[in-house]
Amino acid sequence: MHCLGIDAGSRAIKVVLLDADSRELVAWKVGDQGVRQVELATELMDAVLEEAGVARAGLNGIVATGYGRDALEFADTTITEITCHARGVRQLLPEARTIVDIGGQDSKVLRLEAGGAVRDFSVNDRCAAGTGRFLEVVAGRLDADLQDLGRLAASSETPSAISSMCVVFAETEIVGLLSAEETVENIAAGVQTSIAKRVAAMAGRRVVDPVVFTGGVALVPGMQRALESALGREVGVPPTPQLTGALGAALLAAKGT
Amino acid sequence: MWERGAERHAREYTTMSGCDRDGACGSTPAAGGAGAPPFRALEHFAGMVDHCLEFVRPAKEGGTPVVGILCEFTPRELIMAAGGIPVCLCGGSAETIPAAEEVLPANLCPLIKSTYGYSVMQANPFLELADLLVAESTCDGKKKMYELLAERHPMYVLELPQKPGDPDARAHWRRELEKLVAQLEQRFAVRVTDEKLRGAIAQMNRERHLRRELAGLMKADSPPLTGCELLELKSLISCLPADLAQYERALEELPGRNLEPPLEGRVRVLLTGVPLPHGAERVLQVIESSGGLVVCQENCTGIKPLVEDVDPDAPDPLQAIADKYFHLPCSVMTPNAGRLDLLRCLASEYRVDCIIDLIWQACITYDVESHLVRRLAEEELGLPYLRIETDYSPSDSARLGMRVQALFETVASRTPAGD
Repeated sequence: MHCLGIDAGSRAIKVVLLDADSRELVAWKVGDQGVRQVELATELMDAVLEEAGVARAGLNGIVATGYGRDALEFADTTITEITCHARGVRQLLPEARTIVDIGGQDSKVLRLEAGGAVRDFSVNDRCAAGTGRFLEVVAGRLDADLQDLGRLAASSETPSAISSMCVVFAETEIVGLLSAEETVENIAAGVQTSIAKRVAAMAGRRVVDPVVFTGGVALVPGMQRALESALGREVGVPPTPQLTGALGAALLAAKGT
Repeated sequence: MWERGAERHAREYTTMSGCDRDGACGSTPAAGGAGAPPFRALEHFAGMVDHCLEFVRPAKEGGTPVVGILCEFTPRELIMAAGGIPVCLCGGSAETIPAAEEVLPANLCPLIKSTYGYSVMQANPFLELADLLVAESTCDGKKKMYELLAERHPMYVLELPQKPGDPDARAHWRRELEKLVAQLEQRFAVRVTDEKLRGAIAQMNRERHLRRELAGLMKADSPPLTGCELLELKSLISCLPADLAQYERALEELPGRNLEPPLEGRVRVLLTGVPLPHGAERVLQVIESSGGLVVCQENCTGIKPLVEDVDPDAPDPLQAIADKYFHLPCSVMTPNAGRLDLLRCLASEYRVDCIIDLIWQACITYDVESHLVRRLAEEELGLPYLRIETDYSPSDSARLGMRVQALFETVASRTPAGD
């Protein structure tokens, strides 16, 4: 039997299909989020099932998570992304005690008990300055895509100081830096440092090793290093870090079988 | 003349308060026991604002002074003993905030902005009827807003000492209350005698007792009402005879009320932090529509002002009043050990599963103190803790709901049967 987890995030939808018995990953897909969220999630789910040769009727459970979870009526249950991320990370890195998740629209810090249960969490969802959205705005302003931005940042030796607490004003600050002929490399690195510092401030002194970095932003080159430097400690990135929420959802669906 | 104005204000005030717009918030299916009929006392309090107006208008016409209060530190007993009607003026409406922000900074507590916005819009009938406002030096935001409020309304500000352990604080606070009594006597041409003080103390103690008993119903495994419903049982004016009768009626009715489905098994929440003035009940609704039950509110719209009575037999009633009010464990006090002690007691009495700490945006004192509350919850009491910082705007309700649900999932994972 199989189980499915869907993470309907703000910027991307992630679908994971698991073998319910072995808990092995059978298939997965990531698609950009759009206006027709329910249709997009359904198409992505059908594509995953087709690739694996599994019929929808053959599914043992579907768990939806992410901010769009309640719209997905074909799901059996909805569970918050906090619980799902923790469950996904527990599978990939059972010893992890802190999760830093930076997504398109929010960032979260989860502290875990030994054994992987959630101890507590903080979420920043009122301000884009510590999220992937900031990177997108800056990439647009610098005429680069997200991956290029990471590569540019990697070659900077003196990241610019970006002090604005707010994406809107940070954009203005970047225009100022450009007109002062600051290099694109230094600005890109400065933005990464700024995001990492904001998230590190949210984590506060409550960080316990080992730390895992997940969410779509963990895929951007240079962000892992920026976060390590802001937290002053090593940070691990699992393979496919944007899938942890969907993986956790699928595992929780399997639990119900 | 003022009557016609007051009609208009009453309509606006009622429309702006969220609960009146939605009907009694406890009777919404999401928040209450599904489909539970509202009990009769609850129906009475659904008309709370109207009842207060119906009481105040003829009294004012007959020469009774109306005195606005802005915080639980102001002893209502003193105003009542001076023959006045104390009315709570704390603003709970998001709709008066834009008007306030023409003068006040945007990054300020919504309670302060809403209260001031009512004055700018002349939309709170009680504020427009008030002969005097009594306030006190609590937080910086309120204190400075009072200076602006004083431009339109007669205002008397008490200086509240903020070191509860200081040996001089008790005498200073008593002296402040003496000056308020003198002010009331002079302004309203009355004498505040010990007998009148004792009469007011008896009335207020009776109301506190009844409201304490009602709050205590939430200690049951399966309480007969939701936290939203309990919050409805309140009034802007204390000790209205009809309200006291309804509190008594609720205490008779409620123990026999069977909710279907029962509230047993919901996550028992201790809500602490800032008050939820009339119209600002949203966070409580979010908690209860996410599967929680707020069994206790450690805040100024919950049990905080009710836990202690004024000693009715004290030889010096003014000192007894001063003592009771000075004990309020507000975050403006330093240190504020009383709040942590109260939380310890309530967590055990109400057998709570978790603590949610509510902080209005830019409320510095509750914000900083949240660190101590988190430490108490997690390290001493072993309870999951969630801090919510928000304002009166409903824009983040879905996001708050996610956090509350995640907290409840964490609570559930700690009980046996976790994966």
